[in-house]
Amino acid sequence: MPLPYGVRSVPPMTRETVVRLDGVRKEYGETVALDGVSLEIRPGEAVAVMGPSGCGKSTLLNMVAGLDRPTAGTIEVHGERIDEMNETRLAMFRRHHLGMIFQFFNLLDDLPALDNVALAAQLTGSKAGPARRRALELLDELGIADRRNIYPAALSGGERQRVAVARALMNRPALLLADEPTGALDSKAGEQVMDLLLDLNQIGQTLLIVTHDERLAHRCASRLIEMSDGRIARESVLEKL
Amino acid sequence: MRAVWRAARAAVRRRKLQTFLIGLVVLLCSATTVVSLALLDASSAPFDRAFAAKHGAHAVAAFDPARVTETQLTSATAGVTATAGPFGQVVVKPETDSGVIRGTPLTVVGRADPGGPVDQLDVWHGRWPSGPGEIVLAFTPDPDFELGPLASTTEVVTGGVTLKVVGFAESINNSADGWVTPAQVAALHPTGLQMLYRFAGDVSTRDAVNARLAGVTTGLPGEALIAGEPYLTVKEKAAEDLGVYLPLLGTFGVLGLLVAVLIVGNVVSGAVISGFRHIGVLKAVGFTPRQVVAVYLLMVSVPAVAGAVPGAVIGALGGQSLIGEAFRGFGFGDTQVRWWVWLTALLGVPAIVLIAAMLPARRAHRLSAAEAISAGSAQRRGRALRIQRALSGSRLPRPVSLGLGLPFARPGRTALTMAALVLGVVTVTFSAGLGTTLTRVGVIDNQVSGDIGVRGLSPIFGTPTTRTDTQVEELLRGLPGTARVGVFATTELSVVGSSEPLLVNFTRGDVAELGYRAQLLGGHWMSAPDEVVAPSKVLLERGLKVGDRITVDAGGRHTTFRVVGETVRGPSGAPGLIAQWPALTTTVADPHLQPSDYFYQVQLQPGNDLDNYAEAVKAADSGLMAWNNTGTDSFSIIVAGFSATLGVLLALVAALGVLNTVALNVLERRRDLGMLKSIGMTPRQVVAMMVTSMGALGLLGGLLGLPLGILTHRVVIPMVSDAAHTRLPESVIAVWTPAVVVLLILSGVAIAVLGALLPARSAARLTIAQVLHNE
Ligand SMILES: Nc1ncnc2c1ncn2[C@@H]1O[C@H](COP(=O)(O)OP(=O)(O)OP(=O)(O)O)[C@@H](O)[C@H]1O
Ligand SMILES: [Mg+2]
Repeated sequence: MPLPYGVRSVPPMTRETVVRLDGVRKEYGETVALDGVSLEIRPGEAVAVMGPSGCGKSTLLNMVAGLDRPTAGTIEVHGERIDEMNETRLAMFRRHHLGMIFQFFNLLDDLPALDNVALAAQLTGSKAGPARRRALELLDELGIADRRNIYPAALSGGERQRVAVARALMNRPALLLADEPTGALDSKAGEQVMDLLLDLNQIGQTLLIVTHDERLAHRCASRLIEMSDGRIARESVLEKL
Repeated sequence: MRAVWRAARAAVRRRKLQTFLIGLVVLLCSATTVVSLALLDASSAPFDRAFAAKHGAHAVAAFDPARVTETQLTSATAGVTATAGPFGQVVVKPETDSGVIRGTPLTVVGRADPGGPVDQLDVWHGRWPSGPGEIVLAFTPDPDFELGPLASTTEVVTGGVTLKVVGFAESINNSADGWVTPAQVAALHPTGLQMLYRFAGDVSTRDAVNARLAGVTTGLPGEALIAGEPYLTVKEKAAEDLGVYLPLLGTFGVLGLLVAVLIVGNVVSGAVISGFRHIGVLKAVGFTPRQVVAVYLLMVSVPAVAGAVPGAVIGALGGQSLIGEAFRGFGFGDTQVRWWVWLTALLGVPAIVLIAAMLPARRAHRLSAAEAISAGSAQRRGRALRIQRALSGSRLPRPVSLGLGLPFARPGRTALTMAALVLGVVTVTFSAGLGTTLTRVGVIDNQVSGDIGVRGLSPIFGTPTTRTDTQVEELLRGLPGTARVGVFATTELSVVGSSEPLLVNFTRGDVAELGYRAQLLGGHWMSAPDEVVAPSKVLLERGLKVGDRITVDAGGRHTTFRVVGETVRGPSGAPGLIAQWPALTTTVADPHLQPSDYFYQVQLQPGNDLDNYAEAVKAADSGLMAWNNTGTDSFSIIVAGFSATLGVLLALVAALGVLNTVALNVLERRRDLGMLKSIGMTPRQVVAMMVTSMGALGLLGGLLGLPLGILTHRVVIPMVSDAAHTRLPESVIAVWTPAVVVLLILSGVAIAVLGALLPARSAARLTIAQVLHNE
């Protein structure tokens, strides 16, 4: 029986890590956003990154997502050196192996929920029909199938974030990245998104979550990375609450 | 006020690209506006302008010195506002044949200086005579002076007097063929006294001018006035020559103005609308609505002024050379881009900028801070959303369907961009059609004149050939390289019932095959000695049509011809009827033709050098003149020049409009673009999306612009040929082959893609991390 959310059921045995960062450094002019970060994430892990504002959390996430390039160091995701890829290969890589959710959802305002989700598959060349069918399945599993024809402006924050999660899951990513996924939500909507992420992890989805929210970290993550001044200050294994 | 200034400065700095674009667009549009207005200005009454500038004479009169004294003439001033003269005037018959002086009589006038209150002369080469033995000849300025025959015209010998040519000048009145000092003319025994008059009151018709002239001469002895020439003769001649240019200049002028206004409007209003979010922020921090509007007006004024000034200068220089080129040779002297053109462009373009900024800024004025912030993103309209919906369900690749949806988000901006694209395509289409028409007219011209002209030498140039016309024809046919030979004998005959004589070309040999038959507009080629083919110009001027009869009178012998065909032009030279050779002897009892009265036109087999062939003819018989007769037509070159210039300029401006639209779309959709890239849109897909969004508009612009362009061509070309008193065959107007049509539609796409490519590529290079997290 297929797993819900279409999560990849069995992590590839040959790759015992999904993410491997080695001595990653990132400078923005004078600012050193990351200062020699090394990190490994194994399949099925849920890793939370915390730390004070400006310590480099988002930068770390961007490095893993290939949205920005390190000044030094190597980044391997899903067995591939993404720091050496050109823009096109990176886009292909993201499309097939990564899902991303953002604090402010980043949905296209002129498409209804369903088409926003379908978009992720359509970019890979899927036909509209199958893409919309899979998008509907996901919206259904996330409990918002009835909102499929509503435009983002008319959705609540929680609903928007669930649409964004559905979009991130469209292509069955090996790794789901989230930057402050509950940051713009009220506590109730935040809870729902947390539950969703937890669910996903429990059926095997690897997660990397950046958050200020300690409850989110403790609820969803199996490992906590605390950063300060661009470095990893502390790593700890979390007991699930 | 300080706050406003500072906010505007910050806004200019923050939007370097937009500011630069506004500046560039205003620059190009000012240039286009100046050129367009200068064209329109030039095409409205250029003669009147030049006439006024040169203080042209309303009447040029010649008096008999035996019947009237100089004092009598100077004191006869009834109804006159200005006079010049009396100047001694004499007709001389030159004995030289150097350069352009070919034994034709010259009217020489003695004038102390080229200026004066009436008929100011333009000494465009050399200087004014300073003493006896010097002459200035009347010619229209020749840009290729050094190459032409004028440069070798160095002296005029007449009645034992040698006059050195010291310069060339032109008179708007054509008041003389040459000017010498008053002392020199006295030595030549003047036969007339020239008076130049400017009159007060109505001078709009010949009768009115003649009435004024009669008013002046009433007190003078009878029959003192030998001749009085109203200026309307030169005016009508100028109108005919110029009429050919006016529809073309006007068309390009109007197109240029429209495009300039549209693009400036689009770019500036776009800048303001995309700044709505910023306006909201300004309001939120406490700027009053009035201050907000001021910030925005200031923000666009800076680049507008920076662009308008150099633009107007560039436009004036360009317009000057275009118009100067077009009007050189009409005797108008220098045709300046006038001050009102400058002023209109300098004030008008920035005014359009302000209006274009004002309209959306006023809306921002009314909006609350919160509304303004949200209005910064594109509006979502029902129809636009339905279209997006349909597109996302389509079979098109997703970047393409996303791109197709983009224009609907900003209907106003899209409409303006589209209008500019349509006008761009109209201009390109019209230019292309005009180019093809000119080329085809050129082909006809070359058939008419090419390749080689041969004529027997006239006795004043040397010993004429001793061969008969049949022998010359045989000689030519025998020369290597000859393909076809046509023989023409041209005589001037009186027409029964008309005072205007008529030229008739009697033809034999390969005349029909030289291309004359191919340019028939209607009817058929002559098949009997009483049939003639007539050029349109002859038919139009004489009110004839194919099928009519015309009777000529040759020394009392009447012959009636039937017009069986209408042709574009006929052989080079003044237009005349084309008849068969046998008709020559039946029409004219004793033609008395000299060797120089026969004209032979030779076409060569391809690959033969024309100049070598001409030399070979002269070597074979030194009594023959032979020349390469494939001239370039200056009208075509000039028109092709400004048509291409304006075509390219307007296409460029339209592309710039597209560039601006895409740049704004990218700016407003940075966040969406970042998201799309984060979920795996490749740089190539981003470019495809942005380019598609404009390519679609370009295609639509092409589809709308093409028929409009064809229509413009269809309307304007006949206006040109009407002005030239000719008719053009359909083959010259119907220039639209399917391949050309497809290319022209694609020209819209090309303009759009050209404009979209740059900002699309910059969109593809946007750093995702930055847009997603910072915005
Ligand atoms: N594109 C950029 N250009 C310049 N500096 C940047 C850029 N992105 C981040 N920085 C700097 O790098 C440092 C780390 O930024 P980052 O966004 O990773 O912090 P963060 O931990 O995510 O903070 P927050 O919790 O506020 O989101 C900060 O000093 C920031 O100013
Ligand atoms: Mg952050």
